[in-house]
Amino acid sequence: MKEIAAIGARLTIICAAAALVLGVVNHFTAPRIAFLQEEKVKNALKQIAPEGEIGEARPLDDPVVLSYYPVVLNGETVSYIVELKGQGYGGDLQILAGYRRDGELTAAVLMANGETPGLGKNAEKAGYMDKFIGTGGERPVPVKKTQLLPQEAEGVSGSTVTFGGIARALSAGAEEVKLLEDLR
Amino acid sequence: MIKEFTKGIIKENPIFVIMLGLCPTLGVSTQVINSLGMGAGVIFVLTGSNIFISLLKNFIPENVRIPAYVVVIASFVTIVQMVMQAAAPSLYDSLGVYVPLIVVNCIILGRAEAFANKNTVLASILDALGMGLGFTLSLLLVSLIREVLAAGTITLFPMGGFDGVIEVPGLVNAPVRIIGLASGALLVVGYLKALIDLKQKSPEKAGCHL
Repeated sequence: MKEIAAIGARLTIICAAAALVLGVVNHFTAPRIAFLQEEKVKNALKQIAPEGEIGEARPLDDPVVLSYYPVVLNGETVSYIVELKGQGYGGDLQILAGYRRDGELTAAVLMANGETPGLGKNAEKAGYMDKFIGTGGERPVPVKKTQLLPQEAEGVSGSTVTFGGIARALSAGAEEVKLLEDLR
Repeated sequence: MIKEFTKGIIKENPIFVIMLGLCPTLGVSTQVINSLGMGAGVIFVLTGSNIFISLLKNFIPENVRIPAYVVVIASFVTIVQMVMQAAAPSLYDSLGVYVPLIVVNCIILGRAEAFANKNTVLASILDALGMGLGFTLSLLLVSLIREVLAAGTITLFPMGGFDGVIEVPGLVNAPVRIIGLASGALLVVGYLKALIDLKQKSPEKAGCHL
């Protein structure tokens, strides 16, 4: 019993020392990490809607469409930026997507994700979202590889789960924007 | 003492001889830049954990040594994760899920158990640096072959006007995509292992009958 207590005490000391060190490192790095995250979101919003004033985020009660930002130009809402949560190969995919009022996708950026480097991570690259641009309005968002052009389908080979996760989230975003317009 | 450093590079190379750390090798070796980041992370964690485990070898109770090693290793990995996220966010983003996976990299726990808990701090540092360097060089070799064949590019850190991507003429437009997939990684590692065995051992010992 005494031996078990001694072993437990030593393990507790090791864990406490580790927790202390981690707390100190977190104290110095957390503000910088938060700042970088904020900057990343700001830059992405500006990239999606270079013109117009981006309003405050308005949360939605939906597991995929988390919130939306109205984009106002000359006092009128001209488009929306929607924050989406898709399901990828490595967990959740955070996506920011810009839509016209009719639900047509104008731009999208893949933000936080845990996709495989060299495969699903390629969705972060410029040009990946081009296959979705212009869809969501009259044309539906392609959610299957068979709906893509041959060269586009080849580009997503090896990362079909990532493609499906992004496509379904973008499609849900387009539907939500149409719903928002109907409610106006 | 210098042998403790050099053994990890070729003679006891963690990937091709001891066959440890294969999961991250297969996972991150799709791009050269990932290997550089992962290699740096492993060298840091391996050195830090070897130092602390060597220092604490008389304090850590024998029958709970593995949980204690895991606490030390996980702490170092979390430090790497936080510092990388704050100081090199693009590298952190590109390494994705692999940074937390350093915790379960067998090389680190393997060297703690096989070396650091029986040797001096200096010897443990040299062992960690040698093993870490051996791991990084092997990972670089695998990723260089895979990225060149699978994408026709070599991705490095962007600097100034250089965007960090070198394109290999001929391959960039006609890449061998399977090499970029998990099966391609196994093929590349398997062939390199066979080549190294052939070089290091006699054909009989290596299991080859040419």
